[in-house]
Amino acid sequence: MSVRSQVKRRLSRYFVNERSERSRVRVESLAAAEELSFDYWRRCFHVMNSKLSLAGLVYLVLFCAPFASLIGAAETIAPANERFAVAEVAETPDFQRHVVPLLGRLGCNSRSCHGSFQGRGGMQLSLFGYDFRLDHDSLTAAGQSEPGRRTNSNDASKSLILRKPLNQVEHEGGQRFEVGSWEHHLMQRWIEAGAQQKAKPRELSHLDVAPREIVFQADSGSVSIQVVAVWEDGTRENVTPLCRFRTNNDSIATVDQDGQIRSTGAGDTHVIAFYDNGMVAVPILRPRLSVDASPDLGAASTLGGVGSLPGEATSAEETSRGIDNFVLAKLQKLQVDPSPICSDTEFLRRVSIDLTGTLPTPGEVTAFLADDSAAKRTHKVDELLRRPAYAAWWANKLCDFTGCNPNQQAELGQETSVQWYMWVYQRLIENMPYDQMVRRIVLAQGRMGEQTYEEYAEQTSAYFRDQVPADFSRRETMPHYWTRRSMQEPEQAAQAFAQNFLGIRMQCAQCHKHPFAPWTQKDYQEFARFFAPVKFGVAPDAELEYRSLAKQVGLNVRKPAGEAIRNETLRQARKGRTIPWRELYIKPREKPETISLLRAGQITLAEHADPREPIMEWMIDPENPYFARAIVNRIWAGYFHVGIVHPTDDLTPANPPSHPDLLTWLSDQFIARGYDMKWLHREIVLSDSYQRSWKPNETNREDRRNFSRAIPRRIPAEVVYDMIKQSLVATDKLGEVRADLTRRAIGHLSMRLAGTHAMRVFGKPDRVVNCDCERVNEPTLLQSLYLQNDPLVEQQLESSGWLQEIAEKKGQYNAAEKQSLVREAWRRPVNRPPNAIEIARALEYLDKGDSMTVGMRDLLWSLMNTKEFILLK
Amino acid sequence: MTFSRRQILKVGALGGSLSLGNFLRLNAAEGQSDSGRSAILVFLGGGPSHQDTFDMKPDAPSEYRGQFSPISTSVPGIQICEHLPKLAQRAHQYSIVRGISHSLADHGLGTRYVMTGNLPTPVVQYPMYGSVVSKEFSGRPDLPSFVSIDRPVEGPGYLGSEYGPMSTGEKPRYGQPFRVRGITLDGNLSVDQFRERHQLRSDIDTAFDGYEDLDPSVRGLDRFNERAYKIISSPRARQAFDLTGEDQRELDRFGAHEFGQSALLTTRLIEAGVRFVTVLMEGWDTHQDNFNTLGRELLPRLDQSLSALFDRLDSRGLLETTSVLVTGEFGRTPKVNGNAGRDHWSRAMCSLLAGASVQTGQVVGATDKHAARPVDAGYSPDDLAATFFQSIGIDPKTEYQADVGRPITLVRNGNCIPGLLG
Repeated sequence: MSVRSQVKRRLSRYFVNERSERSRVRVESLAAAEELSFDYWRRCFHVMNSKLSLAGLVYLVLFCAPFASLIGAAETIAPANERFAVAEVAETPDFQRHVVPLLGRLGCNSRSCHGSFQGRGGMQLSLFGYDFRLDHDSLTAAGQSEPGRRTNSNDASKSLILRKPLNQVEHEGGQRFEVGSWEHHLMQRWIEAGAQQKAKPRELSHLDVAPREIVFQADSGSVSIQVVAVWEDGTRENVTPLCRFRTNNDSIATVDQDGQIRSTGAGDTHVIAFYDNGMVAVPILRPRLSVDASPDLGAASTLGGVGSLPGEATSAEETSRGIDNFVLAKLQKLQVDPSPICSDTEFLRRVSIDLTGTLPTPGEVTAFLADDSAAKRTHKVDELLRRPAYAAWWANKLCDFTGCNPNQQAELGQETSVQWYMWVYQRLIENMPYDQMVRRIVLAQGRMGEQTYEEYAEQTSAYFRDQVPADFSRRETMPHYWTRRSMQEPEQAAQAFAQNFLGIRMQCAQCHKHPFAPWTQKDYQEFARFFAPVKFGVAPDAELEYRSLAKQVGLNVRKPAGEAIRNETLRQARKGRTIPWRELYIKPREKPETISLLRAGQITLAEHADPREPIMEWMIDPENPYFARAIVNRIWAGYFHVGIVHPTDDLTPANPPSHPDLLTWLSDQFIARGYDMKWLHREIVLSDSYQRSWKPNETNREDRRNFSRAIPRRIPAEVVYDMIKQSLVATDKLGEVRADLTRRAIGHLSMRLAGTHAMRVFGKPDRVVNCDCERVNEPTLLQSLYLQNDPLVEQQLESSGWLQEIAEKKGQYNAAEKQSLVREAWRRPVNRPPNAIEIARALEYLDKGDSMTVGMRDLLWSLMNTKEFILLK
Repeated sequence: MTFSRRQILKVGALGGSLSLGNFLRLNAAEGQSDSGRSAILVFLGGGPSHQDTFDMKPDAPSEYRGQFSPISTSVPGIQICEHLPKLAQRAHQYSIVRGISHSLADHGLGTRYVMTGNLPTPVVQYPMYGSVVSKEFSGRPDLPSFVSIDRPVEGPGYLGSEYGPMSTGEKPRYGQPFRVRGITLDGNLSVDQFRERHQLRSDIDTAFDGYEDLDPSVRGLDRFNERAYKIISSPRARQAFDLTGEDQRELDRFGAHEFGQSALLTTRLIEAGVRFVTVLMEGWDTHQDNFNTLGRELLPRLDQSLSALFDRLDSRGLLETTSVLVTGEFGRTPKVNGNAGRDHWSRAMCSLLAGASVQTGQVVGATDKHAARPVDAGYSPDDLAATFFQSIGIDPKTEYQADVGRPITLVRNGNCIPGLLG
């Protein structure tokens, strides 16, 4: 509570006063409801502005008052198709509330029609309709392909925007509505009344929907949903006929343009309704074996709920009931049984790779299998979390999320990106809370605290000197995030920042209203304004000092923003001299300005304020719907084949989480535990949900979004690179090859290896686009060619320390020795003992060949080309 | 490739997560479609001087026109540089596009733009030509469908790494044996030994037995492992990459240098069924000593090898089905600089197109008297890309589903250059 009040106090400095009353009430209500409640989920999307509450309501209302009263409420305006059923209506339709949504529903402003950037047939509408002025101008202009005005108030029926969609004149889009239809009446009435547009757009509060969730039992029948728009002024209107609808998976449910939903298969998905800039998601479920559909099979296998076969473990030793409760509850609803807990060998390989990017040693495999203590999985997880390899691998992932890329650095790309990586690595070693780590990136400036420019230049030079260099990773803040060339344009910085720390994609809003998120172009442009004063160059107060330093080292300064440091100047720093570094600084603004922060409120920035501070305060407000969720969801996705929200950088109401309550609970706990990343990793990997076998049962074969079993995943590029080495290394180097992070692709070599052949083939991201999709984890032909026959792999086999040991042994191998080699061969790349058939096949191969070394080389090659080597199961 | 609604529904029923893209990829891996179409990109890296090659300005003052003179060609009215006599005799085999213009005079960005036909942005990585072609026209099961000699020029972008090039890593050298990374077995391992290894692998690769069709990753890996094995062990790929079977006269005709041998390799690969070959010729970044570099080295080589490539494709009837694009990333400054060089200039450049449905033997577009800008609006790299795709029957307005959350048009802003295609 105290943390939250502090945050609140800090925040109140920024947000305009009107909001504080509402905020205070919400904070108190949070204190009252200590543990998880669905109200919290609602609040999460409610944030500081009720406009974001749309998605939340879907889940909330399930547990609240019957929706019938909402729809039936006296003040709710009847739907437009009823009101405009007859031609003689007194009502004048509203441009924003009725005309534009109707055009959207009819498809007029879609990308393939008038919403195209070139327009269509001479008429252009704004894509997905949120540029009211453009749309109004366009609709009231003179026709281009036909004579006459598009809207003719004197004789409405002559208007082209009626005659075209009625197909009374040539229209490429054909007939869109019929004479005498409500759509026709609505458009005609609007024209007759003067085709007006309100000067100021209205603000939509949110959409209510009924029912809030639909559970189908069979193919038969359909369900209609009703959508009510609630405007900020309190007006409520049933807008169902004015909505666009979309299903997120048409193999589970389809939806027609009137909001009629039909079930097409078992599983779960969402139907999304769009209206104005609001959207609302309705979960659609159909249990796998509904009684109607398969009466014969239903009872026996599913009524027992979450069951398992006799004799199989159903639960890992120390379970995190938190996660599992949510996952199991949904599986029960879907009547899907989870797979049993995976074997010890599967667990050890899976958790070692996921947590530390490293294969277990053969010795670890043996010891873990021999350990019969009840808590051995917990002990292993705790041990792995203490290893530096955990920090190395996850620093690599955090560098993915934040875009650490040698080619985009302002100068000295390789050096600065390594500094960046090492800085993050050090924070993970310390297990610094995530919010604090991000704060030190987001608020970084070149100078720290009260430093003068000279002190800054001296310190930065010291990181590069040959003799006792200073340690960059001890810097309090990490400025390289901002100094990249890709962050110079405020609009690009805004996109990157939103994707990196909030898990949202703003780019659509650069050109048009975001189709699946509430963001308008204005939201985007306003957000970008925050980043305009973040500058990298020569700060105005340090020009003299900068130039004098430049003179001392003979650097010719041609640009006002200073010069990049290149190798010749850097050489002087290596010798211990102070060289003129450009710096990251905040350019003061001429007068205070007020900017809107992603629909969360207006923020007033004083002349010298760092605009990133209010963003940071907003992000760490426990009610922020994005910040904690984005990282929790990304970390989750590191352990499963998908995130709870997937794609992981698309947190929009139109892309709802598969398990909203789980994501809320995990994020909430993560915040409550002080953004403790190790807690989060541990909580996930100790859950049953993580430890499921990949083998399906008859109920969960087709389930891929509900974590009822493990889905085999291609192991990431850096890990594969290291795994090959770890599999082939000499016996006495088994530990060192793993622990020496300076030579690991998941570790300090991560930056240096970027862009090399192996990394490209296996999909290590270049980190040049703002998309989590940049890391590719699918198998490809080139990967198979690489593992089967790349000269690098061949060479690694040839120089294998272990094969050398085998070659150097004096005398013949006896049967027992051969068998022991074969057992060891399996424990190295695939981390399990071989079964009897495998041993026999391997021995047969060894006996057939000319030498043990060649035979064992081929065996290792074969093991490294099995599916179980490259897939994590 | 077209799919019935039913097939697509079947994909959906596999659990929803096998995307259509994966489905197509799996089909591609099986080599289900073979259109017989292919394409070649000859990339002149560094930015060749347009006014010293195919867009000469003999009437401009000497500091603009440079040191070379034009010569007549097999097509009346078309003149090109005197150092390209063989190509001059073959002017009826290709068309010259002049007045291509853009604004990215940086090697990296310019290359990205010209190779993808889309202005570079930090939001999306667009696929280069070869990735699109290998996605649309899958090749033979025992051959890679997209080969880059020697290194990749731009990547598969949003299409995914499956459509990236198989890079040879180096260029074949005249008179020396040539080996390709990953495709051919090196001397230490015979095909029989490789087969035995492969048999052992099959025998112990049993962890997913009985569940091969359950998950796309497993299914895909099985297919790719099998195709990789076929490529490595079958004679087709080995023979396609092996120049030792070529007649000595043929080796000489293409030229006793890396580019010549690369051009020969390119035609062999197309003959074998590879769908797209990029062949790289570098050294065109002539900030200094432009005229000696071009006149003594680059132009004679280009002249010899490109002529041989056209001749061979023609004699084997492959020009009918193979588009050839010859281009750099930009042109060079109209005025010669103080080092007898020319610097980066993206406002004007030129390219050659040949093969498939290209109407050859013509010049399209024009630049002003100093070769500085196009007269009229000129053409963009987008237009060039649209034309190139159309020439082998790929609709430039094809839409792809990319991971960025919206459909992406292959060439959003480009239109086919009028009069260039039949």
